[in-house]
Amino acid sequence: MALTDLAIVRRSMSGRMFSTVTTVLTVAVAVGLLLVLLAMQSSAGSAFARGTGNAELLITRESDKLVSVLNSMFYRSAPRGPIPWRDYEQLTGSYPLAWTVPTQLGDSYRGLSVMATTPAFFSAFQPAEDAAFRLARGELFDEPFELVVGAEAARIAALSVGDQIHLWHGTPRSPGGHEHDEFTFRVVGVLEPTRTAHDRTIFCDLTGSWTLHAHDRRVASMGAGVVTTPDDLVDADRLITGIYAGMGPRKAALPQILDMLDRDPAWTVANPAGEVANLFAIVGNVGAILKGMAVAVMVSSGIAIMLALYNSMEQRRRQIAVLRVLGASRGRIFALVMTESAVLGLGGAIVGLVLAFGAGQIVSEVMAARLGLVIQPVLDLRETLVVIIGAILLACVAGVVPAVMGYRTSVVRNLRPIG
Amino acid sequence: MHTQTARPALRLDALRFAYPGAREPTIDVRRLEVGAGEQLLLTGGSGRGKSTLLNLIAGLIDPDAGAVEIAGTRIHDLRGARRDRFRGRHVGMIFQTFNLLHGFSAVENVMAALMFSSAPPREHRTRAAELLTRLGIQRLGADPQELSIGQQQRVAVARAVACRPSLVLADEPTASLDPDNASRAVELIKSACAEAGAALVCVSHDPAMAPRFDRRESLDELCAAPGVEQDHRAPVDEPVGDDVEVV
Repeated sequence: MALTDLAIVRRSMSGRMFSTVTTVLTVAVAVGLLLVLLAMQSSAGSAFARGTGNAELLITRESDKLVSVLNSMFYRSAPRGPIPWRDYEQLTGSYPLAWTVPTQLGDSYRGLSVMATTPAFFSAFQPAEDAAFRLARGELFDEPFELVVGAEAARIAALSVGDQIHLWHGTPRSPGGHEHDEFTFRVVGVLEPTRTAHDRTIFCDLTGSWTLHAHDRRVASMGAGVVTTPDDLVDADRLITGIYAGMGPRKAALPQILDMLDRDPAWTVANPAGEVANLFAIVGNVGAILKGMAVAVMVSSGIAIMLALYNSMEQRRRQIAVLRVLGASRGRIFALVMTESAVLGLGGAIVGLVLAFGAGQIVSEVMAARLGLVIQPVLDLRETLVVIIGAILLACVAGVVPAVMGYRTSVVRNLRPIG
Repeated sequence: MHTQTARPALRLDALRFAYPGAREPTIDVRRLEVGAGEQLLLTGGSGRGKSTLLNLIAGLIDPDAGAVEIAGTRIHDLRGARRDRFRGRHVGMIFQTFNLLHGFSAVENVMAALMFSSAPPREHRTRAAELLTRLGIQRLGADPQELSIGQQQRVAVARAVACRPSLVLADEPTASLDPDNASRAVELIKSACAEAGAALVCVSHDPAMAPRFDRRESLDELCAAPGVEQDHRAPVDEPVGDDVEVV
């Protein structure tokens, strides 16, 4: 066994524990910040990039296009502007759309959105280019009070085929929200993951959802105790909140159809992919600014390394002089200080990675809870490596000045007897 | 006792060094030779340039003229890392204040010297531990600051001879010790050097040191007698008494 350069570096660092820890933390915070931003940005990107799928149009009665897409395709909050079923039928008759799927949002189960739709949702609509809805277990609903559960929703709410649950009208927090405990829904199918917001959703049949709301109406007029079945539905109960639509092979006609629908005051029509791209442009700018700030924090952490080593050089002059007497060259001393600097950078990068991982989880949970945005922070391996190597390189640059000080340390002057 | 056949451990040849701006050179040694394994006491008043001479010999500063030859190698002909490596392997240094590395244990301080030697890394710890044990240090893992002054000196001596150098330079090694400890320390250094086969050049202005060395030179005389050939085999004036105990 021998004493190694690394052992000397380690002693030097542990000899100034406070300085070492604070420096490592400074680097760690910078690395963590940068990693979280990168992870959030790329996963926010993919969170929005996926989910609109082959729906080239989203037709609603909301006041804003982007809002309509966020609400009806990313389940941000319940869409406003109900659409009577008759209007929907009229629309499908008057425009040459290859397919349409009616959707209705407003109910929830344990914080998860419940989308009422028709089985066509799972066949006509494809949530992402590379993902179609496929059942992991069970079957699609074909009765009013049956449910199909998205993969993530099944995991979060611990639902499996055969489970019986009550849905909430609105959310437990929204005014007028209440449990529809008169109607028991049964889970008949669980979907495979599509890596879209639809994974966090519970799907039920439109008729079932309409019956819930018809019951509320009937209780208000006839009093509690009344029994409601799908046969009791009237036109006023048959409401939806959005229409997913696709052009199919007539894709070329999309601009024309968009234009026509845009001029129809009865409808708000959005091209979901276009809206998401607009959103990206805004998010991208903000992201670039944030990234710039994170890089600035990185640079200042490099300065912190330099400062810490610079301050330590005064105390280390004698040690350096002794090592020189024992046979260490100037180059070796330079390398020792550089190694220490790089180790500080590496340590910071590793702690930063851990911080980023923890922070990413928290941020994604907050985003999911507050905004309903499903963002799985994924630390891209390549980006992570770039950041870690970047931190080490930065530390090396920061180490140059102290290392040169070490290189130039006068042996004779620093060996002078003190006593 | 001295290995007469080997090259001299140290040879100074017309060595001159002046600090910038000084009128007179601080060091002006025409000739000095120390045989392999020989032990020399170099005396001189405070500020006479004893440390400067040691720094010149160790290659830590460059002379204005002349040469320092250690075991046949002119140290100032070596540049940069080669000179440092040569010093590490052929010259051991002992300082008045020991200059031990803080934060490193006793055994690690000795291992630090072996770091720059050609000894196989595997053996460093064992060698350092053996050496310290021989010099009477039991607490190998102790931080030098926890050791007594005398023990710290032993660690410093062990470090100086760890690489089995040709030459050990001791700079006022007893100045911070009381007379009892000082005499013990000198004997320790002498015996450690003898055991390691190293020549010893000890500089001191402590008159009590004189009787402990067979050969003594005064730096004043070395420098102040230009043209006078120094006889490095100066006869011993008086036999050293039996009080010389080997520690």
